[in-house]
Amino acid sequence: MNTKIKRIPGRTLFIIVWLALIVGLLAAIIILGLPGEKEESLREAMRDGVLHETNRIDLFGLEVNPGLISAFAVTAVLLLAALIIRIFVIPRFRTVPGKFQALLEKAVDLFSGMAKNNSPHRTGFVAAYIFSAGAYIFFGTLFELFGIQAVTTHGESVALPAPLADINGALAMGFISFFVILGAGLFANGPKGALRVLKDFSLPISMSFRLFGALLSGLLVTELVYYFSFLSFVVPVLVGVVFTLLHAVIQAYVLTTLVSIFYGEAVEPHEPKNKSGPALANASAETIDNKKEEE
Amino acid sequence: MPLNIDIVQVLLHMLNFVILAGGLSLILYKPVRKFIDERRKSFEEREAENAKNAEENERLKAEYESKLAAFESETAAAKQKAEKEAASAAKAYIDSSKAEAAAIIAKAEKEAEKRKEQILDSAQTEIGELVIGAAQKLLAGTATPERTEALYDAFLKEAESKTARKEKL
Repeated sequence: MNTKIKRIPGRTLFIIVWLALIVGLLAAIIILGLPGEKEESLREAMRDGVLHETNRIDLFGLEVNPGLISAFAVTAVLLLAALIIRIFVIPRFRTVPGKFQALLEKAVDLFSGMAKNNSPHRTGFVAAYIFSAGAYIFFGTLFELFGIQAVTTHGESVALPAPLADINGALAMGFISFFVILGAGLFANGPKGALRVLKDFSLPISMSFRLFGALLSGLLVTELVYYFSFLSFVVPVLVGVVFTLLHAVIQAYVLTTLVSIFYGEAVEPHEPKNKSGPALANASAETIDNKKEEE
Repeated sequence: MPLNIDIVQVLLHMLNFVILAGGLSLILYKPVRKFIDERRKSFEEREAENAKNAEENERLKAEYESKLAAFESETAAAKQKAEKEAASAAKAYIDSSKAEAAAIIAKAEKEAEKRKEQILDSAQTEIGELVIGAAQKLLAGTATPERTEALYDAFLKEAESKTARKEKL
């Protein structure tokens, strides 16, 4: 039989998968429809700050948390900035970099290095993923510093929080990271790889709540500082900015490190069953590693 | 749902992040990564070229040094040969000079000997003549024993003084 399998280039495959994901998520949103009416009323300002149950924002007829609006805003700003950099900066890159070029290269190298260290096999995808996740968490957390106002469904003004201070945003990030790791395990090692990842079923929950908890704790500390009037002068400038910067850096670092470590474990090649002694098994594993490195 | 978890909003957050991740990796991450990789590759190529050049330089240096060493040994051999030739030429010249000197000396000695013989011959002739003259005088005068003795003494003195004079010459 003379069957010719046309191999799809990696970039095209990536775009197809990306578009399919977007379409799938849109379909799921449309199928599930509008969220049900919430009759529960919250009185405490702190709880509202945490759970965003009363202060909701209308998004094309859909009542959403302010965190989602923040997420869209952050994405729009980041994509616009990336587009501007792509058009005006990257074509003018020089062999000896300037300050901004050095900053960009440093950021890319940082995540590439992290991916390589924690996941020696198939680093290309996870490096791009953690670069995006890191940028999203970092700039998303810094976003709350700007205090951009939005109007709630009750006609009140509310400052847009960090996207990941919303439990829905944190859950989305945790689950996407889990699906990425699961998919990579399945792609690299077949069903066995996926099963290995599924053993850590608590991973998305732990990732989500770690993010949510960290940003929430920052929010609560800031709220507490603001609560006392004698602390609400000068101190918030320092506390707010420093805490937010620390959250941004630490949470971006923690999530990207965790994702790259779990990804590395998921895509790590399986050692064949040891029938001819350990030396042969190790040699086979090394051969597989070398082949994949060459690919 | 507890904690205000809303599936639709979670999905919207997911959609948002998928768009962002895809966009960022396509627009920003990959072009920058590509640039860094290309630059690293060009540096590696340059490094390899430099290593190759250094290797070539090392080879040329070794070749030059070996040629220099060969030239030096050749020069030393030529010098040694020239010295040897000069020494042998000098020796030959000295030998020939010595031989010539020896020949001159031998010739001079021969000539001196010949001259000596000639002088002796002439001295003998003169002595003979003196003897004859004395004999003639003796025969011509009166021969007394005192006179004869005096004549002999005079003859002998004259002969001695002539001999001494000839020897001085």
